Amino acid sequence: MRFVLRMAVRELRASWRRLVFFFACIAVGVGTIVALRSVVQSARAVLGQEARSFMAADVIVHSSRSWTPDVLATLDRELAAHQVTARTESVETPTMARPADPGSQLARVVELRAVQAAYPFYGTVELQGGQPYAYALLARQGALVGPELLTALDVRVGDAIVIGSETFHIRGVITREPGRVAGAFSLGPRVMIADADLPATGLLGFGSRASYEMLLEVPPASIDPLVTALRRDFANQFISVRSYRSSQDRVGRDFQRAENYLSLVGLVVVVLGGIGVSSVMRVFIHQKLRSIAILKCLGARTRQIFAVYLLQVCLLGLTGSLLGVGMAAGAVAAVPRWTGGADSLFAGVTWGLTPGAVGQGVVIGLLVSVLFSLVPLLDVRHARPASILRDEPAAHRRDWLAAGTIGGVAAALVALAVWQAGSLRVGLVVCGAFAAAALALYLMGRLLIRLVRPLAESRWFALRHAVLHLVRPGHQTNVILLAVGLGAFFVIGVRSVQTSLLHELTVQVSQRDPDMFLIDVQGDQVAGVTALLAERSSGASAVRVIPVLQARVTGVKGRRVDLRGYGDVRREGALGREYTITYRDRLEPNERILAGRFWQGPSATPEVSIEQSIHDRFHVDVGDTMQFDVLGRTIEAKVTSIRSVDFRDTRNGGFMFVFRPGLFDTAPHTYVVPLKGPQAPAARAALQHRLAVAFPNVTAIDVQQILNEVRSVLSKVTLAISIVGLLVLGSGTLILIGAVAVTKFQRIYEAAILKTLGASTRTVAAILVLEYGVLGTIAGAVGALGAVGLTWGLSRWAIDIPWQGPTLLHLAGLLLTATLVAVIGVLASADVLRRKPLATLRAE
Amino acid sequence: MRSVQGRATGRGEPWRIRDRRSGGLAALGLLLVLAACGRGADRRPVSPPEADRQASAPAPSTATADSRPRIVILGDSLTAGHGLPSVDEAYPAVLQQKIDRAGYDFEVINAGVSGDTTAGGLSRLNWSLQGDVRILVVALGGNDGLRGVPAAEMERNLSAIIETAQSRGIAVLLAGMEAPPNYGPVYTAQFREVFRHLASRDHVAFLPFLLQGVAGVAALNQPDGIHPTAAGAQIVAGNVWRVLQPMLAAAKTR
Repeated sequence: MRFVLRMAVRELRASWRRLVFFFACIAVGVGTIVALRSVVQSARAVLGQEARSFMAADVIVHSSRSWTPDVLATLDRELAAHQVTARTESVETPTMARPADPGSQLARVVELRAVQAAYPFYGTVELQGGQPYAYALLARQGALVGPELLTALDVRVGDAIVIGSETFHIRGVITREPGRVAGAFSLGPRVMIADADLPATGLLGFGSRASYEMLLEVPPASIDPLVTALRRDFANQFISVRSYRSSQDRVGRDFQRAENYLSLVGLVVVVLGGIGVSSVMRVFIHQKLRSIAILKCLGARTRQIFAVYLLQVCLLGLTGSLLGVGMAAGAVAAVPRWTGGADSLFAGVTWGLTPGAVGQGVVIGLLVSVLFSLVPLLDVRHARPASILRDEPAAHRRDWLAAGTIGGVAAALVALAVWQAGSLRVGLVVCGAFAAAALALYLMGRLLIRLVRPLAESRWFALRHAVLHLVRPGHQTNVILLAVGLGAFFVIGVRSVQTSLLHELTVQVSQRDPDMFLIDVQGDQVAGVTALLAERSSGASAVRVIPVLQARVTGVKGRRVDLRGYGDVRREGALGREYTITYRDRLEPNERILAGRFWQGPSATPEVSIEQSIHDRFHVDVGDTMQFDVLGRTIEAKVTSIRSVDFRDTRNGGFMFVFRPGLFDTAPHTYVVPLKGPQAPAARAALQHRLAVAFPNVTAIDVQQILNEVRSVLSKVTLAISIVGLLVLGSGTLILIGAVAVTKFQRIYEAAILKTLGASTRTVAAILVLEYGVLGTIAGAVGALGAVGLTWGLSRWAIDIPWQGPTLLHLAGLLLTATLVAVIGVLASADVLRRKPLATLRAE
Repeated sequence: MRSVQGRATGRGEPWRIRDRRSGGLAALGLLLVLAACGRGADRRPVSPPEADRQASAPAPSTATADSRPRIVILGDSLTAGHGLPSVDEAYPAVLQQKIDRAGYDFEVINAGVSGDTTAGGLSRLNWSLQGDVRILVVALGGNDGLRGVPAAEMERNLSAIIETAQSRGIAVLLAGMEAPPNYGPVYTAQFREVFRHLASRDHVAFLPFLLQGVAGVAALNQPDGIHPTAAGAQIVAGNVWRVLQPMLAAAKTR
């Protein structure tokens, strides 16, 4: 035992210079795992918190009718069965608010919300002037109101307002309210009161319209089962159930996508780190084979040799891993600086290493080190010292122990993945996919190498030699190709998923979205409304006027469908409903023509352009004639184009049917005016008030608050994804550099021989550039192709985003990989080039 | 982690995709229909063909060649039959059946537009009063109530509608609406008073509440709590018929 220890220490001491490099490579691999997993965990926690405060609860049960004893009994049963920790009720109803002053004639539609003391479970109600929210503000006829109400009713904080038959005192102004998603838009400002005061208003009675919500606080593991159970219980009962991560609303969906992306990155990073560590270990053992042979000649027993090197591997792995943890701590500490410190979106988040991530990183570093050195070490057992010393490849023979070890290593790796993924199924699937990807990459690498083989006939010495190096037996081409190819594959893949994801999000958080809609604007009011909005003082921008009419499809005459009259249309289901239609003579930026041609200019001949979904669902095609009932008159219009509408782009709205102008000029219709109102609450309230006075029939629907909430959540999602993406790129590159640079030790001997035989330093350098360049190009191509496939699969099965196909990004990834590999290969061998050949040959 | 290979929800079923997409529309898609109406029509099951055939009364709007004198119903989604599988189940179609059965020779024109207010009704009055219109049924105000439009504004519009029709020699039936009680006693009283006041004029037949016996009864309303079901529409048609029938009788003897 003492021999083993002494031997290990001696060896380490003798080659510490070389070992520093190995340390660094292991540290980068482990550091990547630790840093990224920590950041991913922090980001997920932030996003989860954010998505919850968006809803104010984990799960919300919503009913358009008051809770009946039956419903409550079912709720009680399910809530008890799923360990729901807390519940609170909230009621919302539109109503009228007036000043308590009997002399005032003012009144305003408001969205009344009555809450209980436990509201909100997540997030906080923010009040103007930094006033802290407490339920006590609402208790005993207190009210918190939206800023617009003060202007509309000409009241101030401290004044009294009447709602129903009860008088309330305004005790604060709401600037932000968690859980305001139900209707997604509002007819008027919010008024929040205590649930206990609601009965006294007398508003809720026979025929009242109100929505009832039950907010629930649920342990994370019970959320999905509870939602499933409740949905089953309340099918067809005016009751809907959603959780903060349900995919029905868009924030929930985006949150889910970001979650999936982050967990994906967490897994990929382990693979990347593992590649880094394993390629280092492989070279390390390879380097030691000579010493092992000498030890064998001197009579060392296999068991002793084994112990010596395993101990070294363990020491190396452990110290490298610890160094990696230190590096990760530094990297993670720097994250707040990128995100903008205290003012950033992530203010208040503690970025630090999570113990789980540290533990996993170190264990992975150690395990991967041991696992990947075991197999080459086992080979040594049977090898005759002489053959090793002569550098002959070992004769192959059946070795059950080696086979068993390989099996064990594979099983351990699978176990590692299962542990990382946190689920047996996912772990197995990931391993399977990984093995398949590795195999595919390997085969592709072999194919590409075969393709470059003819270059070995080249008359250019450097190229000939470079290619010969690649295809020579004993060369590690395949292994390097696999490591670099896999690395490039993951980095490019993650990068392109990120690009698609961010593209999706930017569409949604666009600052140019309209945040106010004026509806029911009559034809003779358009001029007045636009004039008012055009005034500088109004603060409105991006004003558009969209004519709208209601129409029903009453017939279709076409090649694939023939619906004569309303009875036929009705059988097509939704086609028979009322559609809101418009007319214009240009396409919106969010529309694309798929078939036919879009008209130019007005015409008296009726033409209609239909949305893709109408074409897909009802088989209406270009050239068909559709019959519409518009305000009691029948109109026949020819379908001249099929459009696709990007419904995520809310700026331009989406219409199933767009008509050619000319037909409806004389038809009565109303206008919808989307606009971006002033952002300051006072100016906004003033604008709405002016509109209400001048055009009493026009209703202004304000979506500013909800849009701001959505933007706030989505910008955090965006930032989190970008940070993680950047980290993957950075650390992935470092790992690749390590994997390539470590191969330089094989080049030393060759370079020395070539130089001895008369090759100039330039020739050797050219050989190296070409060799690594070809290798890099092949690896990059393998990676880029793999990434295209990966993103296709992911966007189809896992993250639910539109697939964009091969892009510039993939090409750039390929070129960058090639350049990087060539540059690193040459730089790492710089000392080989400079060194005198004799010194190298002697050292060997 | 379950999600790495967990398939995204909501794929495959065209119904859902449409709904999901329009849910993404911050507001416009929703708003264009009456604020509270939603897209109920899409989610309702399609009625089987048998039921269709039984209920297939002549579709009022397609019968353009009809030369009978007309009864125009100027209304909102209640008249348009929002959320019903077919406009044939809305109360104007039921009314047509009653008229036919009673032997009167009138064609009912459904001029109901979902989301329409009294202001919208006034703007499109001339468009709707095409042909030989004898009776105008004014069934508006529901959306004004849901949006809290000031009562005075509503009265101005309704008054102008009635005057225009009467100046053209068209008899008017005014169907009243109620604002839901959650708008508070003051507003609901003002709202009711608008109809009472207008009805006290000369030559206006008056039905105090169009949804009498239907509003607030869960079984007669769709899940949104606003729009009557087909059974509810039968009752609404009965309400209108009680006031309309004497007008028809008078028109016949004239």
